[in-house]
Amino acid sequence: MSTEILANGRTYIHRTSAHCETGVTSALFCDKGFDISEPMIFGIGSGIFFGHLPFVKWAGLPISTFRSLPGLVFKKAAKRLGAKVVRKHFRNPQKGMDELRRVIRTGQIVAVTTNVYWLSYFPRRYRFNFNGHNLIVLYETENGFRVSDPALREYTLDCSTHDMERARFARGPMEARGLMYYPLSVNPNPDMRKACITGMLDSCKQMLKIPIPLFGVKGIRYLAKKIIKWPDKLGNVEACRQLAHVVRFQEEMGTGGAGFRYMFAAFLQEASELFESSELNGLSNEMTAIGDIWREFAVVSARIIKQKGQAEETFAKAGGLMMICAGREEQLFKDLNNVVRKLKA
Amino acid sequence: MKVNEVPQDDVPDYSEGIKKGNYALDDQGKYVMVPSKGWDVDELTNRLAFNEYKAKVEETRKAVLEGKKSPLAYYMELRQMIPKFLGKTAGIATFRVKRHLRPEIFAKLKESVLDSYAKALEITKEELKTVPHNSQER
Repeated sequence: MSTEILANGRTYIHRTSAHCETGVTSALFCDKGFDISEPMIFGIGSGIFFGHLPFVKWAGLPISTFRSLPGLVFKKAAKRLGAKVVRKHFRNPQKGMDELRRVIRTGQIVAVTTNVYWLSYFPRRYRFNFNGHNLIVLYETENGFRVSDPALREYTLDCSTHDMERARFARGPMEARGLMYYPLSVNPNPDMRKACITGMLDSCKQMLKIPIPLFGVKGIRYLAKKIIKWPDKLGNVEACRQLAHVVRFQEEMGTGGAGFRYMFAAFLQEASELFESSELNGLSNEMTAIGDIWREFAVVSARIIKQKGQAEETFAKAGGLMMICAGREEQLFKDLNNVVRKLKA
Repeated sequence: MKVNEVPQDDVPDYSEGIKKGNYALDDQGKYVMVPSKGWDVDELTNRLAFNEYKAKVEETRKAVLEGKKSPLAYYMELRQMIPKFLGKTAGIATFRVKRHLRPEIFAKLKESVLDSYAKALEITKEELKTVPHNSQER
């Protein structure tokens, strides 16, 4: 943990988090004097999701996402907690940088969305062309900015002006167009129970009710079936490549383990204390168990990739594990829906 | 996942000291965030993707030396771009970028066009005209 003095003399406490967007949102709210944990933001902002997008390619391969669209968690959490926020895109990089400087000079910390490739403080092997990394800009330094990257380091970092401009205005899929966001004011005593209920119901809706078979529980089933067929359809090399891509989305991008499933379990646990509900605690335990299966899926996949699909671990087994996850998650979100409807705000 | 089950596989070349947060249950069954040094599974999938990227860059470099592609193609691969997004960054239409990947057309480019490519790719104009003779890290 490290602290920094902002432009107007306030202190900022840097804390680490598992995921960039939830960590950044939590830090922005804490900075406004409203202490809220990362899993709580994740739950209230309905971050948990699954989607397989065969048409949207990233690095030439389809995207499988374990979370809702980037930016949505912040928007939803802010709305449900009654915070007034500013979110701005820019067409002109110069204007975007000027506005960032103007705001941080007033002592307000600002979150920006960046492209990882252009951030030179990132480890070499993480630097892929991915336009969705969030970090907080604290204040200006001599030749750049002091930034706090909760998902990356346990201390604050320096980032040059040049890096910052390129990273914010990089062109590519899902480009950030210089997105910057910060809360203007945060309600110090929001109705946490109501916010949690809205968040949980919305999560259930996202996972169960989207009538397209690529999203939610249906999406998991769809991908599981595809995985089982991959070795016949694509050949072993390509099948391993695609499987590794799925596991990367599950584990590499700072998910807190098991594609956000553990983080959601942590949220359910915190909510169960808030509502003093043993049922929610039970669901948290079930979510943990599902997360363990997701981890097993990752381990099995790694073995398949290592042995190039020769021996006992097969694509059918990996797909089967994912099928189990789908079945159990479907039951979990149905139960959650019933439990939440009985809770009182 | 319990706290003691959080993987701590250290791969210095990969993580460079970064600790990823993992949510895990402590002895009392409460969720806490545990920093993880790394996980072999995660390292493996990253290594595949990273090697694939490096191989692609190397393949393009050889193609340039053989005169099949223009140096622009090499630097585009190095920066992990595709013609569409290189075009957007440099302010040049995608179909023109695709043409400029051919060595004979690239050789006749105006200085002003080379300038905008060099700026978009973060290299000097001299670098843009050739490719390194040995493979190198970015």
